[in-house]
Amino acid sequence: MDELELLKKHWKQEDTQYPHVSANAIYKMILQRSSSIVKWIFIISLLEFALWTAVTVFLKDHKSAQHFDRLDSDYLIIPLTVIGYVILIYFFYLFYKNFRRISVTDSAKVLMENILRTRRTVKNYVVFNLGFMVLSTVVVLYIEFDQDTALIRKTQAAAANGELFMFYAKTILIVAGVLAVFAGILLFFYWLIYGLLLRKLNRNYRELKKLEM
Amino acid sequence: MDKELEHSFVALLEEHQNIVHKVCRLYTNHREAHNDLFQEITIQLWKAYPKFRGDAKFSTWMYRVGLNTAITLYRKSKRTVNTYELETFQFKIKAEEYDDTEEQQLKLLYQAVHQLNDIEKALVFLYLEEKDYREISETLGISEVNARVKMNRIKNKLRTILNP
Repeated sequence: MDELELLKKHWKQEDTQYPHVSANAIYKMILQRSSSIVKWIFIISLLEFALWTAVTVFLKDHKSAQHFDRLDSDYLIIPLTVIGYVILIYFFYLFYKNFRRISVTDSAKVLMENILRTRRTVKNYVVFNLGFMVLSTVVVLYIEFDQDTALIRKTQAAAANGELFMFYAKTILIVAGVLAVFAGILLFFYWLIYGLLLRKLNRNYRELKKLEM
Repeated sequence: MDKELEHSFVALLEEHQNIVHKVCRLYTNHREAHNDLFQEITIQLWKAYPKFRGDAKFSTWMYRVGLNTAITLYRKSKRTVNTYELETFQFKIKAEEYDDTEEQQLKLLYQAVHQLNDIEKALVFLYLEEKDYREISETLGISEVNARVKMNRIKNKLRTILNP
């Protein structure tokens, strides 16, 4: 006999053997909070948006930024800031739209795709930010070296001592170090999300995709 | 929340709760995990309920939400122990209905099913519930042909697990 047929026979008879959950218990259950991955993905995504907005605001208010404001840089900084915020709003809109689309009554495959798409929006936002941060850093360095009198003096002094190469190398290393710290924070987020939260989802999605081949 | 909605939901779920128990039966292997998944499925059903239009059967709708929760949304809570505790979590099998060999066979069968992956379990679940391949394919989002092929592979896989 087919193995599953025996199970099927038993499966039907098992109906009476499950513990009965009373209506009262069900009322209590629906008051509880869900601990689904969708909720966690939403929270973590909000944290990521908040982190990057905080980074932008913090950099704007920082002392060195105020010093930077005195330089003639508006022609570059204002467009960069505006683009930054417009893109934030755009990504947030996409994220929200994708998030709303997640429905537990879709087929398993569609549900998984919608969750993954929501995550991808946030990932793209972060990748965009990383690129934007590198671009902004290059722009700021360019303006500093071009206009900041103190820095120009230092450069000239270094050049006079024949240490110009060392001076540039040091500056670049420090800047790269700061960028690396940010990249580290990002990697932590991704380890958290893809490693822990989405492991099961990714595994099952791959399994479904394999069926289609 | 609308009280009437709440009443109708609780009444329907109380009546059809065995579907949820059965999903938990395949996806968990001890009582606490069973209860935890039961609760999460109940919450997801309740959250989705306002959009339930009644054009599908409540039970059919429950299969989707239940399986989606088990396969995709549910995160094992900390207290879940990830070992096979099947022995201690056997629902009592009525002795007069089964002889010893059949009982032993069943135990091995459940152990084998627990070794399948989440997607395979979903197919087995719908098969045991006597759903046709159209419904299986719609619930999982794969084609009917692929559902059929996969089901045959699962049967072979179970046979291999049982008769190594």
